[in-house]
Amino acid sequence: MRQSLAGDQRAYAELLRETSRMLRPFLTRRLSFESEVEDLLQEILISIHKARHTYDGNRPYKPWVYAIAKFRLQDYLRAHYADHLRHAVELSELEESLPEHVTETAISYESISGEVKKLPEKQATILQLMHQEGYTAKEVAEKMGMNESAVKVAAHRAYKILRSKLER
Amino acid sequence: MENIDDLINQLAQDAKAVKPAPHPYMLSLKWMGAAAAYLMLSLVFSGLRPDIALKLHQPWFVIEIATLGGVFVATSLSAALLSFPDMHQMRRLVFAPVVSFVLFVLVIILAWQADSPPAPLPVHSFECTISITLAALLPAVWTFYAMRKFASTHTHWAGSIALLSAFSVGALWLRLHEVNDSIRHVVEWHYLPMIACGLAGLWLGKKILKW
Repeated sequence: MRQSLAGDQRAYAELLRETSRMLRPFLTRRLSFESEVEDLLQEILISIHKARHTYDGNRPYKPWVYAIAKFRLQDYLRAHYADHLRHAVELSELEESLPEHVTETAISYESISGEVKKLPEKQATILQLMHQEGYTAKEVAEKMGMNESAVKVAAHRAYKILRSKLER
Repeated sequence: MENIDDLINQLAQDAKAVKPAPHPYMLSLKWMGAAAAYLMLSLVFSGLRPDIALKLHQPWFVIEIATLGGVFVATSLSAALLSFPDMHQMRRLVFAPVVSFVLFVLVIILAWQADSPPAPLPVHSFECTISITLAALLPAVWTFYAMRKFASTHTHWAGSIALLSAFSVGALWLRLHEVNDSIRHVVEWHYLPMIACGLAGLWLGKKILKW
């Protein structure tokens, strides 16, 4: 980092690469999707770049990096869940109405199970539990160790993907 | 992964030599020096209370001023540490204002008990709060401006501590300027509003110190 602060671009690039390797598992453990990990990792690297003058090279580097990473992660999760909770209100209505649509159009879970399996693993499991095994969103949340709103959001995303595929 | 590599290359190309931020001790000393100079200038222009020589012989007044000064020093140091993402890895010192504040409250409680018979209440009331706010405005703006150059990861607390620091300057100024012996008035119109402004700093910090 000292070399980086002195303007050594190669050392700086290497430091950022090493930092991203170090942070990836930290983020993967806390986020559900790889795309989220990528987005947040980019944001953290930009933050490290912006704040690099606050590191003088005389104290351990990791606590400084993790302080920034945790800050950005909290920000991200706060915004993410606030956004998803807004959707969750509408989703409860959607969830109630969806089975009716399925029967009206004579689409059963079995008939689209092939498409469901192509969904990301978590979404597929949620749909399977809710529509094949008859669990409620709350029960699925408990079973998967997730928040109820997060289950509804994941289900909503899955419905959207399925709808666009079936409409084609 | 490709995006990350591209980003790293871009950031590395953009990386010019940067001057590391000063140590938080130096930073807080700078802020304290500036605030002390501002306080002295304010007192030169507004004038010291005429009975200051007498008041400086009253232990509770001296202790009150000393502990209020302690709050100012502790909050300045804490604000400087909170400006760094990792608090310069001196987490314990960040809590220094808690100690100074507990001491200050204790002194105020004891001074209140010692104020017997109670000194008469002055005729004015909220004017003191306004005066303190006006006096604290410049230190607050300056502290926030200085803190924005860093990268706080505790924006709520940083804002609160910065405002407490600025308002302690205002409170010190008024206590050394105004002829008033009523501890009840001082608590109601000087120190409680100061704490309220510190709480408002929780919100302000989030807004201003965002990066």
